[in-house]
Amino acid sequence: MQLKDKIEKHLLEVQKPSRYIGGEVGSVIKDKSKVDVRFAFCFPDTYDIGMSHLGMKILYSLTNERENYWCERCYAPGEDFEAVMRENGIPLYALESLDPIKDFDFIGFTMQYELSYTNVLNMLDLAGIPIFSKDRTDELTQIVVAGGPCVCNPEPLADFFDIFILGEGEEVNLELMDLYWEMKQQGASRLDFLRRASQIEGIYVPRFYEFTYKEDGTIAGVTASDNAPETVRKRIIMDMDKVYYPENFVVPFTEIVHDRVSVEVLRGCIRGCRFCQAGFIYRPFREKHTDTICRETRCLCENTGYDEVSLASLSTSDHSEIDPMLTQLIEYTAKERINLSLPSLRVDNFSESLLEKIKKVRKSGLTFAAEGGTQRLRDVINKNVTEEEIMSTCRIAFQGGYSAVKLYFMMGLPTETDEDIVGIAELAQRIVDLFYSIEDRPKGKGVQVSVSCATFVPKPFTPFQFEPQDTREMIEHKQKLLLDSVKTKKVKVAYHDPNVSQLEVILAKGDRRLCKAIYTAWQKGCKFDSWEEHYRFDKWLEAFAECGIDPAFYANRRFGYDEILPWDHLDYLVSKEFLIRENKTAHESRTTPNCRQRCSGCGVNKKVGRECFAESKSSI
Amino acid sequence: MQRVRAVFEKTGRSKYISHLDLNRCMLRTFRRSGLPIWYTEGFNPHPYYAFALALSLGFESRCEIMDFNITDDDMSMDEIRDRLNAVMPEGMGIVSVALQQKKVTAITHADYSFVLETPAPEKLKADIDRLLAAKEIPIEKKTKKGIKTVDIKPDMQVLGCDTAKNGVVMSLRLPAGTQTNYNPTLFFEALKNSGAETFEPAKIMRTAILCEDGTDFV
Repeated sequence: MQLKDKIEKHLLEVQKPSRYIGGEVGSVIKDKSKVDVRFAFCFPDTYDIGMSHLGMKILYSLTNERENYWCERCYAPGEDFEAVMRENGIPLYALESLDPIKDFDFIGFTMQYELSYTNVLNMLDLAGIPIFSKDRTDELTQIVVAGGPCVCNPEPLADFFDIFILGEGEEVNLELMDLYWEMKQQGASRLDFLRRASQIEGIYVPRFYEFTYKEDGTIAGVTASDNAPETVRKRIIMDMDKVYYPENFVVPFTEIVHDRVSVEVLRGCIRGCRFCQAGFIYRPFREKHTDTICRETRCLCENTGYDEVSLASLSTSDHSEIDPMLTQLIEYTAKERINLSLPSLRVDNFSESLLEKIKKVRKSGLTFAAEGGTQRLRDVINKNVTEEEIMSTCRIAFQGGYSAVKLYFMMGLPTETDEDIVGIAELAQRIVDLFYSIEDRPKGKGVQVSVSCATFVPKPFTPFQFEPQDTREMIEHKQKLLLDSVKTKKVKVAYHDPNVSQLEVILAKGDRRLCKAIYTAWQKGCKFDSWEEHYRFDKWLEAFAECGIDPAFYANRRFGYDEILPWDHLDYLVSKEFLIRENKTAHESRTTPNCRQRCSGCGVNKKVGRECFAESKSSI
Repeated sequence: MQRVRAVFEKTGRSKYISHLDLNRCMLRTFRRSGLPIWYTEGFNPHPYYAFALALSLGFESRCEIMDFNITDDDMSMDEIRDRLNAVMPEGMGIVSVALQQKKVTAITHADYSFVLETPAPEKLKADIDRLLAAKEIPIEKKTKKGIKTVDIKPDMQVLGCDTAKNGVVMSLRLPAGTQTNYNPTLFFEALKNSGAETFEPAKIMRTAILCEDGTDFV
């Protein structure tokens, strides 16, 4: 029986079957007899989530532009379909050809969050691909690679992958595939290929690096072998107006999380919030011009048929042409009855004219990331937002007809005290008070202030990479304190499970010794760890214990400035000296101005050989 | 404004598009086509289009009906058909486009063909004949008021029933439309309950949507 028939025989037994059979508008079908290299682009979560990921859309279309390469999509099956697959011997397959991914040349995963690591193991297992890199064939096929933000510290995954791709993939992915095809024709072995690949900038082959450890458990040293470079530098694209951007997306039948056209407006961030990994690992700051953004928006809307578009970036309002850009975009979207959504707006430069513009396009709630409850703490984390700015923005929003505001905070930030937690409740209360002090507030409605508290997770390549995370007891105390400090029903508080955040930090800051624990946890049934209903912290604790891992060593210990960190041999352009300097500045409760105001000397400009704002018209 | 009725097919992989998803899918198809489709004029204007009958998930069809309005009075039916077909998902296509003649309430029946797969076609055929010969074919049907037993025999018309290599090939005419709607799965259920040879329904396809007088609804 053909694999397609096998799949179809059981497809109606599972939820949302259209996720598992392909055939969507915009999916790319090629004649496999005319294709030289096949790439299975895997997202280690379900279709609904993975299909929303912009990076995958870009790299999918980019690879398929090359006639002799074929990139296909693959997602983690839901629990019901996984059971069907295992029961009926259906191997994990790609959605375009419905061919098993074990027969592909590349099996590439995008690692977007730490809690998806066990899903990678589960997907490799479902595919029938050896989970450990060392167990794979000597032949040149089935190369398992990973990219995405989590590979800035890939060590906890090092035993499972042949190659990590650091930084932006638009160029390096094709270079890697070109090398593969060249060497495949020459009959080279897997090891030959990995050796040559390790010479490409941005390619990290973990098997060529050996770690030694001190008695206290910290790293003694890292040695490179097989001529691999001592440090591997991430790749970046310099010109955002010339970089490839897809003209079409795969349009799903079933509803996905971000079911709309997404247009990237800028990369990097000028802000330097000290907790934010994206703010550092995606440097330098690069913008697309308004014309490029408008052209891409129009093209994608016409080709996909979507009636909603959203602008993607870390901070859209930091675009130097934000006002003319929105004017031009809204002119098009209004005429075509397209909804424009603008996530990632900052509180401090949220002008009245900007609000007027977005009011034309949407009328949902407003969300502000205040992150810290007091000014002192916001200074520590370099979230350069003042209470006056939050208040004046809320005032504009209330006068503009909004009556619901959502505020994001973090709990367990470095130097945080009980006073900072009480400060969250007080800030929310002052916003409630502000609402009722406004004469022309929306009538007939009460105000709703939603406070959402995440647990702080220190991440590699941030100034807080050295910081310990609060223990569960500390977080639980703070959560209770916050609940007790809220005196009104107009303020609603939601927070995350601290156990989840603890696993996140262990996987984020872990080293190669964690590979065994991840494998053990998966064997114990851990998968979909980011899904509350699947999360099994007890199983993880068992796995750590069996593998001799002390979770507190990674989660609750301060990493020394002079300690060799598991990711120190990877170069994400920002220098460690800068991160140490920023860490010290944080502990002095001092802020650092944004990159447009003054260069803070992170070192990126020196490495890429270009000033970040020299060419920008709007540099201040 | 032209009131247009399109007959479209939904075959192959597109049978996994649920009715809810079909709505979204058509919205995007219209947008891709760039056709001047009429928008409702309410508080939240949206393109107006309506499906005459819902099709169960997993069923194929050659005769689905979709009504919509085109604001350009000079546009030919051929152009509408071709522009939609150029941007339809795999497995879906417009068979014909014409101005609306009848009201949707004129629909009374629909025909279905399917295969009941079994290793013992002859035995199953005999079981089917026995069920069809019975005085009544009672099934439990879920309604808004709860479960009630109905006899589907008087409303069911067997158009064909033949053994094949892998099972029994059948076609049925069942009530459809705004009054009574019978799904062929009711018949499968009745057959299973009658203690018939085990079978798996496959290749279920709606082949016609009909009016009272037996003519095609278009």
